[in-house]
Amino acid sequence: MNPTPQELKDRIEAGIPGARADVSGDGRHFNAVVSAPAFRGISKIAQHRLVYDVFGTEVGPRIHALSIQTMPSEEP
Amino acid sequence: MTEETSNPIREAIKGAIADNPVMLFMKGTPDHPGCGFSARVAAILESLDQPFAAVDILPDPRIRQELSALSNWPTIPQLFIDGELVGGCDIVSEMYQSGELAQALGLEETPGEAATEPGAEAAQSAPLTIENRL
Repeated sequence: MNPTPQELKDRIEAGIPGARADVSGDGRHFNAVVSAPAFRGISKIAQHRLVYDVFGTEVGPRIHALSIQTMPSEEP
Repeated sequence: MTEETSNPIREAIKGAIADNPVMLFMKGTPDHPGCGFSARVAAILESLDQPFAAVDILPDPRIRQELSALSNWPTIPQLFIDGELVGGCDIVSEMYQSGELAQALGLEETPGEAATEPGAEAAQSAPLTIENRL
């Protein structure tokens, strides 16, 4: 079963404390715009890793492509 | 019967990253990219006149496995500058647009070139220029 943008959004928001995510996509290619307090003070690489880590090994086989934009947000 | 101790593919990847100041792992080649994301990163480097080494990960699935295990980064392309993972297509594109990529590559921007005196036509128009400081 193909993942849906809603599934990705829910899992990002559940997996990263305080995160807000907007996800669009067609079941294979997704675009996620994510803001979270956890992104403050860490590198872009580290920010994107936090998002990838939500999906682990699904990135590639199940989620063919996940394009990520991250921004730090204020503490909730 | 696998030999875990010697891993020639991982050693070759490490060597490529160590030997090449600008190292791109991609699907396909810069001339014949196999994926739009890889194509974009290669095109960005070319637009900066930045020489780079490229490895096509497609011929052997173990290259991607070993690379991702080594870099802790799940997707392709992956751009390394001076031995450090800089990012994939999203981060490289963002850094290109902000000018950070040119800085990271040591391509000196020439400040002043863009900051010439505003022309007469600019002086006549309303001062609505917004400086993007992001």
